[in-house]
Amino acid sequence: MSALLSVQGLTVRAGGKTLVSNLSFSIGSGERMGLIGESGSGKSMTAMAVTGLLPANISVTGSIVLDGEEVVGAQDKHLNRLRGVATAVVFQEPLTALDPLMKIGKQIAEPVRRRLAREMGQAPRVAVDREVLDLLDKVALPQPQRIANAYPHEVSGGQRQRVAIAMALACRPKLLIADEPTTALDVTTQAEILKLLDGLVRETGMALLFISHDLPVVAEVVQRVMVLRDGIALEEGAVVDVFANPSHDYTQTLVDAARMFDEALGRTG
Amino acid sequence: MTSLDLSTDRPARRHSLSLSIGLALVGLNVVVAILTLFWTPYDPLNASGGRLEAPSLLHWVGTDRLGRDYLTQIVIGARTALIVGTGAVAIGASIGVTLGILAAFATRLLDDVMAATLDILIAFPTLLLAMLVVAASDSASLWSAILALGLAISAIVARLTRILAKRVLRQDYIIASRTSGTSWLGVVVRHVLPNIWPTLSVNFALQFGLAVIAEASLSYLGLGAPPPNASWGRLLQEAQGTVYTAPVGAIAPGIALVALVIGMNLLADGLRDVGDPTRGRTR
Amino acid sequence: MMLNLQNVNFGYSRHRKVLTDVSFNIRAGASVGLVGESGSGKTTLLRLLLGLERPSSGTIRFGDEVLDPADGAFMRRYRRSVQPVFQDPYSSLDPRQKVLDIIAEPLQSLRIVGPRKDAVAQALEAVGLPLDAMQRYPHEFSGGQRQRIAIARAIVARPEIILADEAVSALDLSTRIRIVELFKTLSATLTLVFVSHDLGVVASLCEEMVILENGQVVESGQTRDILAAPQHPYTQRLLASIPRMPA
Repeated sequence: MSALLSVQGLTVRAGGKTLVSNLSFSIGSGERMGLIGESGSGKSMTAMAVTGLLPANISVTGSIVLDGEEVVGAQDKHLNRLRGVATAVVFQEPLTALDPLMKIGKQIAEPVRRRLAREMGQAPRVAVDREVLDLLDKVALPQPQRIANAYPHEVSGGQRQRVAIAMALACRPKLLIADEPTTALDVTTQAEILKLLDGLVRETGMALLFISHDLPVVAEVVQRVMVLRDGIALEEGAVVDVFANPSHDYTQTLVDAARMFDEALGRTG
Repeated sequence: MTSLDLSTDRPARRHSLSLSIGLALVGLNVVVAILTLFWTPYDPLNASGGRLEAPSLLHWVGTDRLGRDYLTQIVIGARTALIVGTGAVAIGASIGVTLGILAAFATRLLDDVMAATLDILIAFPTLLLAMLVVAASDSASLWSAILALGLAISAIVARLTRILAKRVLRQDYIIASRTSGTSWLGVVVRHVLPNIWPTLSVNFALQFGLAVIAEASLSYLGLGAPPPNASWGRLLQEAQGTVYTAPVGAIAPGIALVALVIGMNLLADGLRDVGDPTRGRTR
Repeated sequence: MMLNLQNVNFGYSRHRKVLTDVSFNIRAGASVGLVGESGSGKTTLLRLLLGLERPSSGTIRFGDEVLDPADGAFMRRYRRSVQPVFQDPYSSLDPRQKVLDIIAEPLQSLRIVGPRKDAVAQALEAVGLPLDAMQRYPHEFSGGQRQRIAIARAIVARPEIILADEAVSALDLSTRIRIVELFKTLSATLTLVFVSHDLGVVASLCEEMVILENGQVVESGQTRDILAAPQHPYTQRLLASIPRMPA
C-alpha cells in the first residue's frame, strides 16, 4: 500500500526567492509526522502547498501525491474535493480561521452537510445538527449546545481552537495538518489541546502532519520529525533519535537550547 | 512564527518615473507662474488682436472675445491655480494636522465629539462649504475662496491625521519613547509626524488638485477670483458660449488644469516612496 | 528595597478588575520573573511599574519614594532609573529613525550630558552589535538584532532596573537563547524584572519568581524552591503543563 501523502522534490518559489527547495517526504496512513523549523524555514509553505492553497503568484514544482491524486498543477475544482475528504487544516490563530459573523454551530455544520451529502446522497437537518453536537462533545467543549449558538468572539482562545479542530474533524480527513496549532495559546491551554489532538488522532486513526517551531511540543505528538531550515530539509528520523543524536549542527543548536530551558525547570513535571 | 509574506518588491524604476513626470509637470507650472510676475506674452488686460482669433504664430492659442491673447490668460491662470492650491492646502494642513493630533491624544469623550464634528463637516460637499463661506464674505475674492477651501480641506486632513496618529500611538516605540522621558510634544515631533507624513503628503497633493478644481468651479460659477485675475475656471466659463466656434478656448485651460492635478499626484506618489527608508530592498 | 508593591489594586472600571492586592518586593540587583498567562494581569503590572498607569489603590515605592506618575520631578529621576524592553521587536523601534537616533533618544529626552555617540557605541558594544549599525534603519535587521537594539536603548542611560515584557517570546529558539544569555549578562550589574508566560525562560534567567493568576499573586519566592516544590495548585498545574524534551 502506498503512502497517504508522498512529496517528491517539492520546490516553492516566489518573487525570485526559493522558499522551499527539493523537499521529499511521505506519510503513511495513521502516521504522525512533525515538521520543525524556525521562521522562514518554509514549514508553513510546505503545508500550504500540500493543500494546494498557495496563491497563483507562487510557483510550485515537484510532485505532491495526496491519497493517490496529484496536487501540483491540479485544477482548483479538483482540489476542493480533495481538501476535506483527504485532508483538513488547523491553523495557529483560530480567531482568523473562523468566520466572525457566523455562529459556531453553523460553521461546523457546513463541512458536516457536505460530507453527509457526499456519503449518503442527502443531509437531513436533524442528522447534521446531531453530528455537530457530537463533534463539539468530541473536542471536549462543555455545553455543546451553548457553544453551537455562540459566535467565535464569545468563547475563549482555547475553546476556539477546539472549535477549529471540530471543524477539521467534521470532514473525517485521512490526514490532519496542524500548523502551529498551540503557538497562540497559554501553556495550560496548550497542554489540553495537545492532549486532545493526540487522543483524537489515535482514536480516529488519522494521519497527522504537525508543524511547529517548538521541539518539546512536537515531541509530544509525533513519532517522526523532519528539521527544516531556509527551505531545505536538514535531517529526518524518529523523534527520539533526532533529538538524542542530531546529525546536523543546526538541529544540535535547537536541541541544546530546548534542553537548556528544560533543565532550568528541573527534573520535575 | 508562521507569517507568509507574499509581497514581492515593486520595481524602483516606476517610482522614479512618476517622480520625474510629476516634477516636470508641477515644475513647469511653478516656473510659468513665477515668470508671469515679470513677463507675459502680451498685456493681459488689453486687446492685442482681433476677437476670437484662431491659434496662429502671433497668438499660439488664439484670442478671447475681447481680443486679448489667450496664452497670456492661461499662464496667469497657472499663477492663480498655484496660489489657490498652495494656500488652501497650507491652511487645511496646519489646522487639520493640529486638530487631528489633538483628537488622537484627547480623552475618549473629547475625541468622540471631535470625530463626530469632523464627520458632519465632511458630509457637506467641499464646494458647497466653499460657496457658503464665499457668499458669507462681503465680496467674492481670491482670498475668501482660498480660506473657504482651506477650511474644507482641514476637516478632511484632521480626520485622516487622527486615524493615522492613533495607529502610530498604539506602537510600542511610543511607550518606549514616553518611558525614555520624551514629552508628548517630543513624541509628536519625533515619532508621530514622521510616521504619518508619507500618507499625509499624498493626501495633501490630492487636496491640492481638488482645491485647484474647486477654485475653477467657483470661478465658473462666478464666485472665484474677480475679473482682472485670470483663473482657469473663469476662462472655461467664458469659453462656454463659444465652445463650437473656438474650441481651443475650452480645451487649453482644461489641459492646463488636468496636467497640474495629475502632476501633483505623481509627485506625491514619487516623494512618498523616496522618503521612506523601509521601501526598496528589505531583508 | 529597590521596588516595593503594597496592596496594589488596579481596574479599568469597577467591573473589570485587573489586579487585586498585589504585594511583593524587588531587591536591588535581583532578577525577578513575573510569570502568568493571558489575563493574569502581568502586562498591566508592568505598565504600573513603568508609571504609565496609576494604581486604583495601594502604593508602589521606588526606594523611599512613592511612584506617582503625576509628579514630574520624581518621574524624570524614575525614568532615568527604569527602562523597558518590549515583546515585539518590530513595533518597538520607530521604522523612520536611524538606530543611532533610536538608541540616543533616552539620552536626549533625559537631558543626559556627554558625547552621545560614544554612549550609543558603548551600548551597541554591550549588546553585541557592530558600530556601523548606527547609521542603518531597523528594517535592515533581523528580529534578534532588533531586540538587541531595543536592549541597547534600554541600557544607554545606565538605568538601575530593566523591565522586560515577554522580551524573548517573539524570537526563534536559536535567537531566543542568545538574547536570554544577553539578559543574563546584563542582570549581573542590573536589577531585572522579566515578565513572561514562559517558565523555562524565567527559570533559566531569574533567581526569584512571582506567579500571577487572574490578577493575584498566587506564589512568590526563590525560583529554585518554587520549581522544586510548588505550593499553589495553579503553579503545580502550570509546571505540569510545560511540554518536556524526551529523555
